[in-house]
Order: sequence, then C-alpha cells, then structure tokens
Amino acid sequence: MDDIEAELNISAAHFDSAGNETTNEEFIKNPLLIEAPPKSYGNSRETGFHRSSRKCLKIIRDAMLHHNWQTAAEYFTSYIQTLEDTTVQRALLTRDVIWRLGTEILHHLPNASIDDFNAVYEIMKNAGVSNFAKICLEQAYHLLLNGEFDEAKRQLSSARHWRYGKRTDAQSLEMKLINAYCGFLDYIIWSKNISTPSETEDVRSLHEISKYFRQASVTLSEIIKQPGIWDPFVLSYITMLEHNHNIDEALKVLQNYAYNKEFPSNPNAHVYLYQFLKRHNAPPAALISSLRVLHSVVPSHKLMLDFCSLLLKEHPETAIKEALLVCMDLLEYSSWKCDRDAWKCLLKILQRPKNEHNLVKEEWAARRSLWMAFHFRPYIIKMESQKDVRLWRIKERVLKLLGEDLHAEDFRKSPSGRRDRHHNASEDYVNGSES
Amino acid sequence: MDEYLTEGYSEPCGRCAAVDWGVSGEEQFFCKKCHNVIERTRDMVGECSHFSNNNKVSYIAKPKNAAMEFAQEWMVCEGFQFVLKQQADALVSLGVCLQFKTDVMWNFWKRYLQNTRQAFVNNPVSTAGFSAYLNSESEGEPESVPFCEGTSLTGSPSEGRKPASGCSNDRRSGSLDASLYLKGKKSCNLMTMPRTLALCYLALLWVREAITLADLLRLVKERRVPYLNIHDCLPKDMNLFGQDSKIFRVDSIPSYSKVHEEAVDLAKVIKLPAFPTVSQDCLLHPIPLTVRYLLESNLPDGLLVWVHKVIDEASMGADSFLTFDPVKKKPALVCYDIQAAAVIIVTMKLLFKLDDRVEWTSPGKAGSEKKKKVFNVERWYKIMQPAFERARQKMEIEEVRQLWKSHKPFITSQKDKSLVFKKRRIVNHLQHRFQKLTDSIPEQQVSTTTSFSSFQFHWGKEPGSDGPSLHQHRLNCTFKKKGFKRLTNRKYWHTVLNRCPPTCSHHFSDSEPSLPRMYVWLLDLFSFLLGVSQGQVHKEVLNIERCFKKRKRPPVPKSTPPRAATKKTPCPS
Repeated sequence: MDDIEAELNISAAHFDSAGNETTNEEFIKNPLLIEAPPKSYGNSRETGFHRSSRKCLKIIRDAMLHHNWQTAAEYFTSYIQTLEDTTVQRALLTRDVIWRLGTEILHHLPNASIDDFNAVYEIMKNAGVSNFAKICLEQAYHLLLNGEFDEAKRQLSSARHWRYGKRTDAQSLEMKLINAYCGFLDYIIWSKNISTPSETEDVRSLHEISKYFRQASVTLSEIIKQPGIWDPFVLSYITMLEHNHNIDEALKVLQNYAYNKEFPSNPNAHVYLYQFLKRHNAPPAALISSLRVLHSVVPSHKLMLDFCSLLLKEHPETAIKEALLVCMDLLEYSSWKCDRDAWKCLLKILQRPKNEHNLVKEEWAARRSLWMAFHFRPYIIKMESQKDVRLWRIKERVLKLLGEDLHAEDFRKSPSGRRDRHHNASEDYVNGSES
Repeated sequence: MDEYLTEGYSEPCGRCAAVDWGVSGEEQFFCKKCHNVIERTRDMVGECSHFSNNNKVSYIAKPKNAAMEFAQEWMVCEGFQFVLKQQADALVSLGVCLQFKTDVMWNFWKRYLQNTRQAFVNNPVSTAGFSAYLNSESEGEPESVPFCEGTSLTGSPSEGRKPASGCSNDRRSGSLDASLYLKGKKSCNLMTMPRTLALCYLALLWVREAITLADLLRLVKERRVPYLNIHDCLPKDMNLFGQDSKIFRVDSIPSYSKVHEEAVDLAKVIKLPAFPTVSQDCLLHPIPLTVRYLLESNLPDGLLVWVHKVIDEASMGADSFLTFDPVKKKPALVCYDIQAAAVIIVTMKLLFKLDDRVEWTSPGKAGSEKKKKVFNVERWYKIMQPAFERARQKMEIEEVRQLWKSHKPFITSQKDKSLVFKKRRIVNHLQHRFQKLTDSIPEQQVSTTTSFSSFQFHWGKEPGSDGPSLHQHRLNCTFKKKGFKRLTNRKYWHTVLNRCPPTCSHHFSDSEPSLPRMYVWLLDLFSFLLGVSQGQVHKEVLNIERCFKKRKRPPVPKSTPPRAATKKTPCPS
C-alpha cells in the first residue's frame, strides 16, 4: 500500500552512490533543493505549485527563526499540501521537512497537547516507510520526557519488530537505539513499581514486575556489550544487579565498560567504577588505580581531590610526588583557580616533612612563570585580599612554603598609601609570620 | 458519520491497537490513528459474525458498484466542453453579456471542433480513426483519413455510444481517447488547459468587453473563473482517471505571454475573420484603458490630455493598428493593457523626464494661491510606495496560501489509487490538527464572499482607502514663452530603439541596472498592477517610442517637446 518501491529506489540510490561511484553513475544527480529557486538558464522552469510551496517554506523558516510560532503554524497548514506532490523525490523530501517542522512548531505552540503530538507522530510515521523507526524513537523520547512510560514502551515494542527493505547501516543503528530504550523503559517501569509500595494485587504484580526486570536485564546486558557510550543504561543495569546482590557481575560489567579498548574513551565509566567500588568498600588500592586512570583522562575532575587525599592517607611517603603533581595539575585549570579546598590540599602536601624539598623545588621551578601570572598577579592579589581573605591567606602560606618572598616584589606593585583594613591585615600577617 | 458506517466493528487495529475506524474513499476500513487499511469493506457491514455459514445473505443493492454503472464514457473534447462552459458561466455571472456565452463562445468552439476534425464534420475522428489519422500524419499523407461512424456532439453527453472497435479494453484513462489525445497534442492543435483561457480571451475580444487578458488571469488566480479546480467543473459521472491527469491537471497558472501566444495560434486554427474594430467607444481602446490605469495609480486627471496627445502623435489610435485581424500574414494581437500602461509611462517620461533628477526638483510649492494643489512627483511617490509594498506583500501571502489540489485527488493508475487516497487523508488529518491549534480558517472561500473589484488600489478619504487621492491635483509642467506654451521638461531619453532579432529574449535584465531607478520603479508598479513582467512593459514602451520615431509629419512647435534623445546603453546583441 505504501510507495515502497519508489522510496527504496531513491534511498538505495543514495546509499549506493555514496559507496560505489563507477557502476551507479546514472543515480548520481545533483541534490534536489526544494528551497532554492530554479536556475535561470536551461529548461528548468518551476510550476506555480512548486513556486508557491518554495515561498511558503521560506516564510515558515523566517517565522520560526524569529520565534513567531503562530505565523509559522498558519503557513505550515498551507504547506502541508506539498505532501501530495507527484514528483517522488520531492515528496520524500517534503515528508521529512513536514515531520521535523511540524514537531518543532508543536513544541512551541502554547496550546499543543500530548494528544496533538501523538496524532502528528502517528500520521507521519505511517506516511512512508523510511522514517518509521526514527519517528518512533522521537515519539518515545517525547513520551518518556512527559512521563508516559507505558505508552512509550508500547511504541517501541511495536517498532522493534518492524522491518523494511535491506538492512542498511542506518537502520541497524536505529534498531540498536530502539532496543536499548526498550530495555531502559522496562527498567524505569520496574523501578517505579518497586518504589511504590504494592497494596493489594500481590502475586500478579510481582510476576509482572519480575517480567520487566528480566526483560530489562536481558536487553541491557546485550546492549552494553556493544561498543558505545551507554551511560544511563549502564547505571540502570548496575542498579538492577545490585538489587539482586550480584556484585561480581556488576563489577565485571563496569570494568568492561571502563577498560575495554573497543569502547570509546569515556571518563564517566571510570567515575561509575569508582563510585561502585566505594559503595562496596573496595580496598584503597583498587580505588586509587581507578582514579589514576581517571586522572590521565580528565585531570580537572572533581574526584581528583579525593584522589589526593586517598594517596596521602595510604602512602604518605611514596605517593607524595604523585599527589603533588595531581594537585598542581588541578590548580592549573581556571575552574579550580579560586577553590579553597584545592589550595588547602596543596598546602597540606607542602606541609609534609622537608625531605621532599628538592622535589618541590623542581616542580615549582618548572611551573613558576605560569603560576605567578595565573595566581599571583598584583590585581588578583588585590581582589582576593579584599574579597576572599581566607583564600588569600591559604595562598599566601603556600607561596611562602614554596620559597617566594611576597613582601619584596609583589607588594611593591600594589597601590601605596591605601590604608584599608585588609591590606593592613595581610601586611601584619606577613610580618607576623616572618618574625 | 464514520461511527454509523463502521458500526459495531470494535476490533483493535493490528498495528497500533487503537479502536478508531473510518471508511476511506474506496469503501475500505482504515484505522484513523495509523492509517492501516484492512480488508474489511463497507459491503461487509451487513454480515454479522453471529450468522452461521449456512445462511445465505443476499443483497438488494450493491452501493459500491452502483456508482460505477452510471460512469459515462466520454471523450476528452467533451471534458473541455464542460470546462469552457463553466468558464463562460463564471464570466457571465461577473457581468459579461450573455451573447458572449451563447453566440460567440459556442460558435468559436464549434468552429474549433470543425477545424480540428473532432466533430461537426462528415468524417469526425474518433478513437480508432484518430490513431489511423495519426499514423497517416507521420507518413506524410494528409488526405487519407479513415474514419469510423461517429455521432455529432450535442450539449449533453451522448448516450449509447459504441466505443470504436479499435480502442483497447484496458482503460488507462477515464476518457476514451486520452492516450491518443496526448500523442496528437502538438501536431493537431488540440485543446489544452491554457488554451481554454485563450479561447475565452478571444471570445471576450470579439464581444469587445472590458476584461483584458491581465484581468482574466487575475480572475483565474482568485478562483472566480474555474481553472484550478477542475473536478468541480466536470459532472460527477465523468470519471477522471489515469492519463486524463496529464491533460486536465494544472500545476500553475499560465503566464500572460503564453496565453497571448496561444490566442494568436488559436485564431489561426479557428480561421477567424477580422475582429470587430476597436474604436474609441470600445473599452479596449487605449484612451478608456488609460483612464482606468490613471485612476488606479493615483495620477492626476490632467495627465489625460497629454496621454491623448501621445496616442495621437504615435498614431496608436488608428483602428487598423488596434484591431486584430488573423487573416493577415503576420497577425499581431495588441496587448491592450500593457500598451495603455506603456502610454502612461511615456507620458510621464515626457512631462517629468524620469531620470532620477528632474522629477524630484519640479516646482511643487509654487501656485499656492490657486485652489487646486499642484501635482508633485515626490509626494505621489511617498503616497504610492507604501501602498504598493502593502499590496505586493498581500499578493505574496495569497500566492503562498494558494490551494493547488482540487477536492478529489487525481488518480494516475489503478495501483496508485490507494496511495493517492492515503496521501489525501494524511494531508487532511494534519491540516485539521494544525488548524484546530491555530484557529485559522482556510482562506480559499474568500473569493466567493467578497465582490470583485477591477481596481487593486482605492484612493480617497474613506477609512479603508490606501491613501489620499491625487486625482484632482493640477499639473504644472508648462510655461509660457513668447506667447506659446512650452513644456518645462526639454529633453527626453530612451534606450536604443533598434529591433532585436527574435532570438534574444532576456534583454531587460541586462539593461535594467543602467536605467534610472524611478523609471524602473514605475515599470515595477505597472507590471504588478497587470501581473506581467517588467520586461514586457518595457518592450511596449520601446514600441511606442519607435512609433514616435516613425511618424511622418513634422512636430508641431506648440506643445510638443523636442526630440533630442540622450541615448543610454546600447543593447548588447
């Protein structure tokens, strides 16, 4: 009943021409631009229908860019008639356009209800074959965001068993996503049922709940095995495994997710592993090793402070170099520049016994020029000594431990003759600490 | 209504599990949510599931097939006859005299059918004969036209016509001869949709009505003359199908020049004699037409005197010049409306030079002691320009919202039938949804409710007008010297007046950047009023200037300008 052959011919041509150019030369045409006016030379003349639909599209686009959603919706109703265009290629393009524009406009209209969304999605899904899976996914996302979990689940399960034509790469990606979200929705429904106390129906609901649980486990474990970034799915799977007290399996999954070379590099994986280990009271060595990997990926992560404190607690003698490096790396990021805890951590490291003095000296010599400009410019000194005195005090002590003489060079540059309280306080403090 | 038709059927849909059934155009059940069509049809409503298989269920009437029985067999020219009849009716209802339809149009159509050998001859071509005729055409024997028995056409569809023996039984079209019609379209001067408009125009010309070609096309655009929605014209038992869509479906309104060309060709085909003369009492004569356009463009009435003078000097008022005579070797159908607009432009050029300098410095403030205000180009421009922009935007909006598809969809082949109906349903549902959200009313009923006005602008003091009227202002473009009245403007410019060879067509866009902006704006204004391109108006202006050049008698010194021409850029040929 659908115009499958025409759609398949066109989409096959698109895929083929991308790959094998020599044998499919007759399929390679210039892409059809429905919003461009026809070329003035040659025989390409536009029919009145195409001209008015092109102008309509332009007006809709301008209205949307200016956020005139009512105007856009009014012109959109006139644009819908282009779905009946007899040129197959144009009809396919306009179907895409109408789906995306229609849903966008609906999002912004004040009186659009979820029924309108559902109706439009259903209509566009069945308008053709190629977009069915994509529109199903989008509809499922929308329902998910609006809390309609059962409806979303139903949509996705109907989409799961739907096929057309050849299995192309694009289709398999959509199918993967559909499967993944099916599992995810199972998990959500399960967790919702678990959290609400079941009042009357005992056995049946338990059975249903365990059905959801099983479905979710199976689907999610399959999905997670494939390379990709599956953060929410991993988390939900781990939650389910923990509920079942299946710690080993959970650990295995997380380690696979974090350390498997096939998976794209994902700092969240290490975070999840660390949090899991912490939850289950793993030995500090394991925690440290996981955080070490995280440090190599994201040196500015907020868990670096935990890393430092862990290192200092466990190996106060041997790990001090690493802790120093980690802390100093952290402070070189502008988001940590004014963080009191980070500076306190550095202070703690520097206040260790003095056998590591050479190490500190080396590091400081390497980073001095950057740090003086970054942290200890006269302007910054002035601002902080007025606004954030505690931070400034910590920074001062750090600087002193690093062997710098504040009073000599930096304070000379600050405006003299200003006798406000903070300046006096910091001067006194310096004087006091030196004496 | 759908609940009544689908009464009692409450099975959930296989695809979407909803229970929301409707009945489609071809009597099948479809799910309103996902458009899934099932096998159940309306015929089966009578069958209840609790009847056992042993009972015989007989129907008294089969409503599904009843519609098909009354479907007439019809030829394409009959279809065109209906179309023309509807168009003529529409024009008569707009005020054209009744003779237009009963005498002129009908006669033209009969002559046309006669000349293309479709009817009213002893040996009319019907389907088999037509194919043989075509074959013989290609072999180059115009004389041998084998024929079958055919009946002459009357106004109503003929009954009991036997299809010719040669026509095939697999019907690729609703009409009998669409495929053959399409083959023979070019060689035999057959009727097409744009040609119907050309025929209407010729008939209007014959009757000397005031509807110009530009007006006719505007009427078509506003849907007052049927052209776009053909299904509504044809009677219900005429089944348009398959190849008929190539003949009867329209995707654009033909341009002025196309209809003009078709009109000239058609006049030759119909072998019309010379048309009734266009003299001053006829409304197509330049003088009455210029009055109309002067009123429309808010120019003062005093300009009319000068317009007369221009027309006389260019000897454009002669009957022989204006009347269309298809019998001549090179028949020239004058574009009356564009010509009138061009005359006005030439007059403006004469009086105000229009070179972006002189017209802005013309004296406007002098003479304040007299009662009437003096006409000032700057003031006119300041009134005209905003109204023009508003009108242009309004027209763009109307063009954009135009509904191109008729109420019943065209079905091109049997296997596409369900697809076409499905698309139509989808479009209707979507539009319904969005209309509910935006509370917008479909715009296409506007034309039947508002009355037609041939003027697009309305000038005056009333609340709904576009601006103040400048008609009563007086022109101040002459001065007295040595007892003679002379024009203030001493010079006149024009572009190169050589005739271009017929092959070069896109001239105006090349020379346009070098023309004065005021002139181009004026071309823009008149081309918008008439619905033609600026190049066409410019071409007419050049024609008039050529007429000036050709005239024999010396210029009268009294009140005509010197013919000194400052030549502008030559035409790059």
